[in-house]
Amino acid sequence: MNRIKYFAAETWASLSKNLILAVAAMAVVAVSLSLLGLVVLGWNMFSNMIKNAERRVGEIDIYLSDLTTEQERQAIEDFLVSLPEVDPARVIYKTKDEALKEFKERFRDNPELWENLEDNPLPNSFKVTTKDPKDVGVVVGTVKTQAPFLNRIEDVRSASAAIEKLENIFDKFRQVGILGVLALVVVSVMLVSVTIQVAIFARRREIGIMKLVGATNWFIRWPFVLEGVFEGTVGSLVAILLVMAVKVWILDRLIESLHFLRMAITPGLLGLLIPSLLLGGLIIGALGSAYALGRYLEV
Amino acid sequence: MIRMRRVTKVYKGNIYALEDVTLDIERGEFVFLVGPSGSGKTTLIKLLIKEEEPTSGQIYIADTNINQLRKWKIPYLRRKIGCVFQDFKLLPHKTVFQNVAYAMEVTGKPRRLIEQQVPEVLKLVGLGHKLDAFPDELSGGEQQRVAIARAFINRPPILLADEPTGNVDPSLAEGIIRLLEKINSTGTTVIVATHDKEIVNTFRKRVIALENGRVIRDQDKGVYGYE
Repeated sequence: MNRIKYFAAETWASLSKNLILAVAAMAVVAVSLSLLGLVVLGWNMFSNMIKNAERRVGEIDIYLSDLTTEQERQAIEDFLVSLPEVDPARVIYKTKDEALKEFKERFRDNPELWENLEDNPLPNSFKVTTKDPKDVGVVVGTVKTQAPFLNRIEDVRSASAAIEKLENIFDKFRQVGILGVLALVVVSVMLVSVTIQVAIFARRREIGIMKLVGATNWFIRWPFVLEGVFEGTVGSLVAILLVMAVKVWILDRLIESLHFLRMAITPGLLGLLIPSLLLGGLIIGALGSAYALGRYLEV
Repeated sequence: MIRMRRVTKVYKGNIYALEDVTLDIERGEFVFLVGPSGSGKTTLIKLLIKEEEPTSGQIYIADTNINQLRKWKIPYLRRKIGCVFQDFKLLPHKTVFQNVAYAMEVTGKPRRLIEQQVPEVLKLVGLGHKLDAFPDELSGGEQQRVAIARAFINRPPILLADEPTGNVDPSLAEGIIRLLEKINSTGTTVIVATHDKEIVNTFRKRVIALENGRVIRDQDKGVYGYE
């Protein structure tokens, strides 16, 4: 008990002696950990959005060349209906005239889009719906390779292809985010380590006397370890508050106002994220002091 | 208590600080280690507290070969050896009481014991009335007494003093040595490195004389001997 009080007092004295540096270190820890938290939350929201979107989208459009004969069309339709993943009742043929009518209907407020058309640029098409939305990719692949009269099929499209593209873009964002967070974590470890170096330097005389009177190495080290861990922990607490604030005041509102995107934060994620951030701060602090002690405190 | 066998210490640049030193110091002895500056006195003390390693030779303290001492055991060696230096090495922002108490705190002694023993030892060194003074409010002689109290507080079997009177007013120097003599009388082995001729000649203790890193004389009830 006596000892804990002693270490706490020593740590506090040292911290308050180089307060500005300590505050800077805590701030950098806070920034890097809150960024980490936000990257995790943002990524979670986005992947939930994608999952929800994929669940809805089981539709595939197959566009036919204008040269397709009725016989060929029939063969393709039979092929589509025969696919086990496809719901046979939902293989719908749409002529180019129907497509144009639909187009005009959809854009009746923007007649300039279709008023000047000389002929109908829209193709005949099939709209196919899979029984299970996750089979969209399989069906697209099968149609593209095994359908009869492939030369009559101009294009096969599904919403999931667009989603996939979006997913790739967001993957890049995530990678950049993770790299940025990693760089910041390294910087925060270094900054914590600098504050500990300064603390060691400020107390080198005292350390010399401690060694002289027979203090064990860990007795000398503990206050410095505590100082680093304290800085890391305070930084992570600030980061947790920041992440919570952003979640409540920005993300939750964003999810609500853009409800049609069906973004969501997985329930229980915060319960995992908060202790992880706390642990992260602790580790950053411990690493920072370990580095400084290893290099600058010969015991 | 202390045995040195053919101890040589060479510093970088081929500087021989100690050369082939062999000596025995028994439990309870009082020894003056004399010689001009640069003769190797300070190096010898640093070797005993394992602040430096000998280049060759063996050093035994209480039958333990300290050359083979594991690094983590060094603090426990130092607890058996009290040290007093020319520059006192007191912490300026701590009071007299706190400076002495420090040596007990560091070794994990309970508060109750600290509060009982520190005033006792400070009384022994004649500073019972200055517990709350800060080092810079004391004379050199008084500061050295605080340092001696700190070295003695854990009752080490050995006390080393490196030029303890170097920064002390000559009229008070004798008092410092008397104090070390008093500590010696409790059974503690005391080694005083000094080039204070008057002190050595007054006290007539065993004298080990060093010159250029070699022991040139070892004499009971000796005198300083250099001119």
